[in-house]
Amino acid sequence: MPHVDWTALLVVALVSVVASVVFAGLLAGGIRALVAARAATASGAPTTGALSLGYGLLALAALTVLYGLYLIVPQLH
Amino acid sequence: MLFVVTAVVVVALVFDFTNGFHDSANAMAGPIATGALRPRTAVVLAAVLNVVGACLSTEVAKTISNGFFDERLVSPSIILAGLVGAIVWNLLTWLLGLPSSSSHALFGGLIGAVVVGAGFGSVHGWVVVSKVLLPALVAPLVAGLAAALATRLTYRVLGRTPKTEAAAGFRYGQAFTASLVALAHGTSDGQKTMGVITLVLVTAGLQQADTGPQWWVVIAAGLAIGLGTYSGGWRIMRTMGRGIVEIETPQGAASGAATTATILASSHLGFGLSTTHVSTGAILGSGVGREGAEVRWGVARRMVYAWLLTLPAAGLVGGLAALLADLGLAGVIVLLVLLAVACLVIFVLSRRHRVDRDNVTDSAEVMVFAGATGRALRPTDDTHTAPDHTRSGV
Repeated sequence: MPHVDWTALLVVALVSVVASVVFAGLLAGGIRALVAARAATASGAPTTGALSLGYGLLALAALTVLYGLYLIVPQLH
Repeated sequence: MLFVVTAVVVVALVFDFTNGFHDSANAMAGPIATGALRPRTAVVLAAVLNVVGACLSTEVAKTISNGFFDERLVSPSIILAGLVGAIVWNLLTWLLGLPSSSSHALFGGLIGAVVVGAGFGSVHGWVVVSKVLLPALVAPLVAGLAAALATRLTYRVLGRTPKTEAAAGFRYGQAFTASLVALAHGTSDGQKTMGVITLVLVTAGLQQADTGPQWWVVIAAGLAIGLGTYSGGWRIMRTMGRGIVEIETPQGAASGAATTATILASSHLGFGLSTTHVSTGAILGSGVGREGAEVRWGVARRMVYAWLLTLPAAGLVGGLAALLADLGLAGVIVLLVLLAVACLVIFVLSRRHRVDRDNVTDSAEVMVFAGATGRALRPTDDTHTAPDHTRSGV
């Protein structure tokens, strides 16, 4: 009977859940901020804060994706 | 011998093709169902990314058997029989629109062929349990949990942001995560066929042991899986995109993220999870996570049955095929003819209730019995009169 690596399995589960939630949160937050910025533009209110927050969150989301790409290309590590 | 080797190479490429169209939906069912990507764009994108993925990683799986059985038992005719089992099961589940794992079909077929060739004792049962059955159970659960939480958080963060305004952003998000899934799929499944062909060439003495795949194997396998992906597997696409749960763009982006994260985390840590199981689990989970989404548990249950059946069923076909292949050249020829006939019959059956890129999201049902065809759904449908070359029936 071979050894089942339960710890690794647990780590896979944790990493998957945390990574998904982080990415989804960043994406949703970024989109929400950008939508708010657009609404503010329409009403003439200042938008710099919402805009930079939105793009900042989306950039972070993109970073998590780049890290994922890095992981699946063996030549990079 | 050379004839058998050539036959194995060709049949392996056919398997790779079925693998592509069976798993096309894993990445693209979501974005097609929500309209984030148009069907043709989606499959072209998935096909290209699959080929890129297949070529990216030159690190071929050293063993296609994963230790289920002694690789010294493997002969070209056993591999041929295993591939036949895998292809037949892949086509049958495609006909029924059931997303089952192509890897399980391949392992099942090979195991069945080895059992017939060398007896039950030659298969290491515990390895099968720990490397196939356990991950098969864990994968959809983990991906489902991740997708459910990610979906819940997405809608929580969005708050009262108008859905229509947020949709544009999420369309990009969903297309993006779907592309990653396609790429990850290419790196794992594209490699599998290369491994099979290389193993055959080595056992036949046409290639040195411990050498990588020949360049033509890489190109042929990449093209086969790419073509398969391009042809779409619309029947499975329909089940995954419409059959399990109604998908909204934010939810689709979340489930794509969960699929990607789970595949990457597991392959990085050495667990070969089935892309199909992960992806269906994530779609199901995203349905559970969104309030008001109606999950069709009946469809989910049928899928689970198909998953459980995949290994033994492909094994049965693989075993029967091995009986034939053991008879020598004549047996191999009969086997190839039977395979061709089986493919043809399943293809003809699929034409009765055709699902293609034009009607893939029209309905949630793949097999519409009792004479109600796509015609009833779309009064202006011209499917039955259009020339065949304009449509892909796969």
